[in-house]
Amino acid sequence: MGGLPANRTVNGFAVDTDNPKVMYVAMRDGLFKSTDAGETWKPVGKDLRNLAAVAVNPKRSGEVYVATADGVIFKSPDGGMTWKRQQ
Amino acid sequence: MRQRLTVFTVLGALAMLLTAPPTASPAQESPSKGGGFEHVHALAADAEGRRLFLGAHTGLFRSEDGGRSWRKVALSAKHGHPDVMTIAPHPRDPLVLYVGTHEAGVFQSTDGGSTWKEANNGLPGLDVHGLAIDPNAPQKLHAAVREKGDGLYRTTDGGGKWVRVDDGPGGEVKVLTSVNIPTGMGGIYLYAGTAEGLQRNPDCF
Repeated sequence: MGGLPANRTVNGFAVDTDNPKVMYVAMRDGLFKSTDAGETWKPVGKDLRNLAAVAVNPKRSGEVYVATADGVIFKSPDGGMTWKRQQ
Repeated sequence: MRQRLTVFTVLGALAMLLTAPPTASPAQESPSKGGGFEHVHALAADAEGRRLFLGAHTGLFRSEDGGRSWRKVALSAKHGHPDVMTIAPHPRDPLVLYVGTHEAGVFQSTDGGSTWKEANNGLPGLDVHGLAIDPNAPQKLHAAVREKGDGLYRTTDGGGKWVRVDDGPGGEVKVLTSVNIPTGMGGIYLYAGTAEGLQRNPDCF
């Protein structure tokens, strides 16, 4: 699980349906993405913080949603590279 | 004087109403702009990717427009709006989904979230922090239960009956997901997000 902040709470987790080795972890520190089933992780969405949950659209690979702890939703159409606030 | 006091009281109440931030209170059933939730725990898309569901301290919410606006979903007449900890949509049928709550256990809907029934047979406690649906066999789910009966439970009949598996992942479970990666031992992996980080275990024991 290299690349995730150590000893920190994982609040949210989601998997890409097309390729289950692509996965996302939501933490207070932000969003992290793995493309090797969780062996290594990289931060994505550098301005995202205080995340409570993450979800992937099962019909559109790469369409990712995150929610902050107080319910602000952000959407990415490209696997976490770019983000847009939904409200 | 008394009349003036009443006028001030009414004006004050009106001002408070007009300036109050948009919150998702239990009484609010109309669509709300987001950002007003208390303690979000879970977010999930249905099998068709059309609806988003959000679980929070104040209940369950549904969005039809990609999270721009949310409508509160009534889960239970008996429990009001329980603290929704986890959401597990069916991988293929957009009408079927399960939620796990902090105080009332598991609920199942077979009509896209319009009506719900409790699915707690066999669970010794009702504090459910994680709920994972098997992507290959959607009648099979795992539940992470806290407090009374602390541990991992499994159903193979869509929530009809739960059976204890083991003590479950160490640390407080925040999210539980069945991932379609074969273990090589006849099962797939369960990933658990916990207060101690991300953990992975085979689901076949």
